[in-house]
Amino acid sequence: MDSASFWPLLSTLVGGLATLAIFSFLIRENGFYRFFEHVFIGVAAGIGPMLTLRDFLWPQIIDPMRGATITTYPDGTLSGPYQPLYLLYLVPMIFGALYYALYSPRYAWIAKVVIGFTLGASGALAIRGFFAEVIPQLAGSFKPLVVISSGVFSWSESINNTLFVAILLLVLNYFFFTFGREGSLQGKSAPLGRPLLMVCFGAFFGSTVMARLALLVERVQFLLQDWWVAVQTIVGLG
Amino acid sequence: MEPRRLIYLLMILAVAAPVMFGLSQAPSRLVSAERMYSVVDSVEVQPGEVALVWLDFGPNTVAENEPQAVVLLEHLFRRRIPVILLSQYQQAEGFLRRIPQDVAQRLEREMPGQTWRYGEAWVNAGYKPGGAIFIQSLVNAPDITKLLGRDVSGMPISHFPAFASVGGVERVKIVGEITGLVGVFDSIVQFFQKNGYRPTLVHGCTSITIPEAYIFLDSGQLKGLLEGIAGAAWYSEVLKKHFPLSDNSKLLVTNTALSAAHIMIIVLILVGNVAAFVSRSRRSRG
Repeated sequence: MDSASFWPLLSTLVGGLATLAIFSFLIRENGFYRFFEHVFIGVAAGIGPMLTLRDFLWPQIIDPMRGATITTYPDGTLSGPYQPLYLLYLVPMIFGALYYALYSPRYAWIAKVVIGFTLGASGALAIRGFFAEVIPQLAGSFKPLVVISSGVFSWSESINNTLFVAILLLVLNYFFFTFGREGSLQGKSAPLGRPLLMVCFGAFFGSTVMARLALLVERVQFLLQDWWVAVQTIVGLG
Repeated sequence: MEPRRLIYLLMILAVAAPVMFGLSQAPSRLVSAERMYSVVDSVEVQPGEVALVWLDFGPNTVAENEPQAVVLLEHLFRRRIPVILLSQYQQAEGFLRRIPQDVAQRLEREMPGQTWRYGEAWVNAGYKPGGAIFIQSLVNAPDITKLLGRDVSGMPISHFPAFASVGGVERVKIVGEITGLVGVFDSIVQFFQKNGYRPTLVHGCTSITIPEAYIFLDSGQLKGLLEGIAGAAWYSEVLKKHFPLSDNSKLLVTNTALSAAHIMIIVLILVGNVAAFVSRSRRSRG
């Protein structure tokens, strides 16, 4: 067996073992399950920093700073001159590294500058993003209750829109706690929002179950097709 | 056997039977997936313009997100729209490499003589950290391929002829975001626009996020939506209607296995309730 087919085969075998180990939890808690759970957590945590360094920091930041992106042609000429402006990357890098001052009781105040900057920038981004996301949705909720398309009254769209607006108002009303609402129409209609919310939560729960089952289907497909073929190959039946 | 374990066994059998015997049913029609097909099919793309597709998913949601990525890429490849693939989720690394390769190989088998090569049909810009800040940089960049820099093999993206003259974000005609909660979907909705220009945004979501995604579809911020496996299955059916050689048999088996699991759950709920009712009435009779 050559290395081109050996590594995919090995990864399929290990993947199948890991899947069976995690599913073994359904019988009872056991060491096999515990081992692969730790492996998964370790791999998931380790892959982030490694990829950030390999795919972003090194090629996009470090290499340009040290001039490694400049190619030397066979005649000795360079693909371009060194750009010293890349060294300016050091400024935000050093500023960001000041976060670690948090570990020094004496200089912890320096980290607060970085944290303050981050909070300010995130806050500004969140405000801008909020309006860009919510305003179109707000405008989209103003639906005509009577829909006439091409000169013909559309029953289906009109009923849809009326239901949408009624449900929106009832649910908003349910969460309106500003004034005392005992005895008022607003107070009496507020409980109507509750069953509507329950329907919504039911839809969320149903969707969650569907997503989990999709994972099960994928794993069963993997075990019955890819993994089983790999096992047969190893034992010489494939 | 404990009832809990019997339920697990029945669920696994319900899912395994269609997979083992290759049973498949036609999927249900989903309007949002059909709308997405029409949108992707009708977007006008000039030479030098591209599609930008985020594959923001890992092994935890691959069951739903991979079929969505496959059908979207298949459609874009068939239309010969150059695709820049990227991810802002670390665990998508392997899928960014494998999925477009598989789709291209399948299309080449389907249409001998035609090719979908890396660097022409797609490039893999890899993992990009930075969340919303990265998206804002991308939108404001005079040349997005320069900002994306190098692909995963270290080659500058602008060196590939199909991606050499992309320029600014106005040249991105379609943005696809395939994700299960972990991606930057919200940030794309919020920030992926410049001087009033907003490319066509389509989204593949996991079942958990369907109710949330409908809000964006209803407001027009999303032009098309793939709802879990069912959305991908219907999209593949529409593709097959237009391209009869398109092979969606595996996806239909997956969708059928999912339906079998749903039926099993309904049966178990009914049986459980009837059993509880009967045992309660026996108790009350003494």
